[in-house]
Formats: sequence, C-alpha cells, structure tokens
Amino acid sequence: MLILDTFLIGLSSGAIYALMALALVLVWRSTRVVNFAQAGQAILSTYIGYEVMNRTHNYWVSVPFAIVAGAAIAAFVDAVLMRALEKRSHKGSVSEIAPVIATLGLLGLIRSLTGMIWGNAYLQYTSPASGKGYEISHHTIPFSPQNLIIVIGALVVMGVFAAVFKFTNLGLALRASSFQPEISRLAGIRVDRIRTIGWAFAGAAGAVAGALVTPTTYLSPNSLDLLLVSGFVAAVIGGLDSLIGAVLGGLILGVGFAFILQYIGTSVTFSAAFFILIIVLFLRPRGILGSKIGRRDA
Amino acid sequence: MRKSKSLSALIFFAIGLFLLGLSNFVDELRAYQGAQVGIYVIAISSIILLTGFSGQISLGHGALMAIGGYSAVLSYNHWHFPMLLAFTFGAAVAALAGFILGMAAARLSGPYLAGTTLALAVGLPSLANQFHILGGEQGLSFDIGEAPKWIADKTGGDFTQYKWFFWISVTCTLFTMWFIKNLLQSRFGRTWRAVRGNPSAAALSGINIGRSKVLAFTVSSALAGLAGALLAMILGLVAPMAFTLTLSFTLVTGAVLAGVSNLGGSIIGALVLVVIPEITDAVATHLGGSEKISANLPGLITSVLLILTVIFAPNGPQLHKRNKSGKAKTQ
Repeated sequence: MLILDTFLIGLSSGAIYALMALALVLVWRSTRVVNFAQAGQAILSTYIGYEVMNRTHNYWVSVPFAIVAGAAIAAFVDAVLMRALEKRSHKGSVSEIAPVIATLGLLGLIRSLTGMIWGNAYLQYTSPASGKGYEISHHTIPFSPQNLIIVIGALVVMGVFAAVFKFTNLGLALRASSFQPEISRLAGIRVDRIRTIGWAFAGAAGAVAGALVTPTTYLSPNSLDLLLVSGFVAAVIGGLDSLIGAVLGGLILGVGFAFILQYIGTSVTFSAAFFILIIVLFLRPRGILGSKIGRRDA
Repeated sequence: MRKSKSLSALIFFAIGLFLLGLSNFVDELRAYQGAQVGIYVIAISSIILLTGFSGQISLGHGALMAIGGYSAVLSYNHWHFPMLLAFTFGAAVAALAGFILGMAAARLSGPYLAGTTLALAVGLPSLANQFHILGGEQGLSFDIGEAPKWIADKTGGDFTQYKWFFWISVTCTLFTMWFIKNLLQSRFGRTWRAVRGNPSAAALSGINIGRSKVLAFTVSSALAGLAGALLAMILGLVAPMAFTLTLSFTLVTGAVLAGVSNLGGSIIGALVLVVIPEITDAVATHLGGSEKISANLPGLITSVLLILTVIFAPNGPQLHKRNKSGKAKTQ
C-alpha cells in the first residue's frame, strides 16, 4: 500500500516535471538553447492567471488565460530576444554561452518585474478542486482531485502535442525545421516563423505546469525555480531532444523523487535533483531516448 | 620577463598601500562597501578565469562560495584555526569540490554544464538544513574579532571593525589578482586559451583537454571558496540565505559586464554590482516607492544590463575595441 501511495505522489509531480521538460525540449530542438527563463515565463503567466482569477473568481476561466499568456510571452521572447541575439552575437568568444546568459538575464528580469508588481510574499492561487486525498475503503490515498486534474491536464497537453506533431502540416514543419533548418528553408518553410510557433507551444506547456501546480503550493516570484531544475533533469534523462523522452523522463524523475522522499527523507529534495542529474550524465549522457550525438558535440 | 614580473608585483604592492591608506579617509559604510567590492572582484575573476579563459560556464559558483564559507567558519569555530588558515582551508575544500565537479564538467558542453551547475546552486544551500553541525536556516556565526593590537597602534588607535574587514579583503583581492595574472601568463594559462580557441588543434599539440578543463575548474572553485569565506567574514555568519541562486546569477552578470575574457574588467563588474543597489535605493526612496520596488529594482537593472551586454557587446566593452586591431583574437 505504501509503495502504491508513493507511486501516486510521484505520478502527479512527474506529470508536472514532464510538462516543464516538454517546454525545455521543444525550445532546445528548434533553437539549441536551454531556456532557463522558462521558469520565469511560467511564473509570469501564472501571475496573470492569478489576476484573472481575482477578477472573475473562477479558476477554470483563469487557466486558459494563463496558457494564452504563456504562449504569447514565449513567442515574444523568441521574436525579440533570441533573434536579436542570433543577429548580433553569433561570433566571438562568448557566442556559445551567450544564449544561456541571455535567458538567465531574462529569468532575473521577470523575477524582479513580478516582484515589483505583486511583491515577494507568498500568494494563494487556489483551485476549487480539493487538495485532500481521495478515500478508498477508509484509507486516504495521497492523491487529491487537484492531483487528478494535474495528471489529466498533462495528458491533454501531451495528446494535443502528439496530434499536432503527427497529423498536421504545422507539426511536420515544426519537426522539419528543427531537424534540418537549411533544407526546410529551401523547401519553402518559413523557419523563423515556425520556430516562434514552437516557442509558443513550449510557453503554453510551461504555463499549464505553472497554473496546475501552483494551487498545491504557493505563488511567489521564485516558486518555480525547483521545477525548472527538475524539468531540466527530466529532459536530460529523456535525452534533451526527444518529446517522448521528456515525458518518460518526467515520470521517472517524479516517481524516483517520491521514493527518495518516502524512504530517505524530505530534507534531500533539493539536492536529490543534482545527484540524479550527475548519475544520469555519468551513466548514460545521451539519455534514454536521445540521439547518438555525444554531449560534447551537441 | 623576470623584470616585468617584479615590476607588476611592485605595482600591486603600491596599489595595496594606496588603498589601505585610503581607508583612513572614508567612513564606515564606504569601508564596508570597499570590502564588498574586493570580494566581488575575487568571485568575478574566478568566473572570468573559468568562462573567459577555459570556455566553461558555471551557474553554481554561489554554491562553491557556500562551501568555502561553511568550511572556513567550521574550521575557525570548531577547530580554532587561525583566521588566515581558515580562509585557506575554505578555499581548499571548495577546490576539492570544484575538482569533483570539474571531472563531471569536463565531459559536458555549454547547456548541460549550465544546467548541472544550476542544479547545484539550487540544491546545495538547502543541505545546511539537513546536518545539525551546519546550523540550519539560522546558519553559523563567524566573528573574526578586532584587528590585532599592533596594527591598531601603528595606525593611530581608531581602527574599526569594517576597516579591518576592508584591509583583509583588499589584501586577499590583490594577492588573488596577482596570482591569476601570473597563472594566465604561465603554461596553464596558454593551455587554457589554446583549448578554448581550438580544442582539436590543442589536442593535436599534445594538450590533455580534459585535464586542462578540470584544472581550470579547480582553481576557479578555490577562488570562489576564498570569496565565500570573505563574504562570511563581512556578514558575520554563514547561512543558506546568503548563498542563494541570485548570488550565482549576480556573479555571472558581473563577469559578463566585465567582459568575460578580461581580468581587469572584474573591478568594473564588482563596482557596478555594489553601486547599483546604492543608486536604486536612492532612486526608490526619491520616488517614494514601496518596499516592493526598492527590493526588486537592483535585480531588474542588473538583469537588463546583462541582456543588453550580451546582445550589444557580448565580448565586453573593452575587448570590443581591441578586436579591431586583431590583438584580442588570441584570447
């Protein structure tokens, strides 16, 4: 029973990690940048959802707003910041790390902006779904209606992504332009525009993660930092350029975390991500579903 | 070569005397900020050494500073190490941690390394809550005491605590800068630049790339550890709150503002980092702003500066100019 309980805890946190990992992987595939600002973008969209909820008093109305905001923010970041960066700093001694630093700057910018507007205090972004676990034959399982919503929400996002990528022209263009930008351009795909759309999808996934997970915790300018790290670790487990890998990585990490918490202790949460990452990078640096290119050439 | 080395040592010595003398003419707050600048200079140089000369990135130097700070404080409080030895011990433990991390880092390229060190920066400070000896959320106090009597007597009695911090910080900073400057001119410095410029060519010339990267990471970590110990000194304590993710980001910002392959720029970067909160405080109070604004304005400005620098002068303000003469190409 304990094992099943732990597994259920891991399932819902794993779904959130998977969403964050999806956001990181989508951006990585098209732009070859790990978007550290993703946590900031998700926080900003969650704050927007929070504002909408304060006005309408309805969580379900606020979530779509947050998702649209997340997509718009991401598209804006790509169209303005990333393009400027590519145009200007493609050569020179820091060209390799310039995108990483720019996304960090953006993360800092969004954190301070949200702090200025909403303050650094912990806010409550509550969902009508109860956070109390279901009761099955006098045993309260650690899986609440909100957890169920998280899992369903993540499944819906994954389903939509899978459908778009598999069955639509847009999905084909997205796949082609991240796989072979030059040839895609020759084939008539507007690679830049497609890339911005890809960023919007990533932003939406991050926004869903933020809007769904925040009711189980609290909202503050840096409340998603740990999620960023977990999402990155999940993405690396999955191979960093595989969407299915990101989902699997998220689930593996979520369940793994849950078992570590259960059997080792809650105080190791933060450092566990680091050690898992190191172990993965030593044992299988290209992840479970990553391409064969080694990390050094990536 | 030998002559220029002794000359540069002399110059460093002169700067040191000048700064120490200067401390007699400034008030307490400035002395404290001077000590802060010194610490930032060391920490930023450690990143410049790593990123600008060895081509590796670290978002986790705040965590390495924490390791240095905690080790120094523990050795000072528990084993009663003398102050200088405690600082050295802090640097040594951080170097060891950096060596282990560097082994992993040498196998990773940009984004992976950034993510791994980021995970370290997020994860490590919370370890303090797990081990009783590290003092949990409150941290451990660190009191190095007043300046020795003979120094106080020599300078005329009025020797305050902050001035003493300033003296220690300046001495350590100058020593560090002198050390790095020589290191970069040595075989190791040339090796790092070679690896950074063209790894394949460097490997063909017989350079062990992995070893060179690990060494750079180790040295850089030792410097970060020293900076962490000094930070603990001026704060009077070590606590997880002192070594947040923001600190790591701040250091990267300072290094980028300095121009990542320009050691002298670390002074500019450090000054900017110390001056910005000062200015924004003034601006915020002038605007009658709330605490929300004044607490977040420094972060906002440094972030904007970071983004603008990366887009418009990615190699730092100074190197940009030198590039035209083609001199900087070797870096």
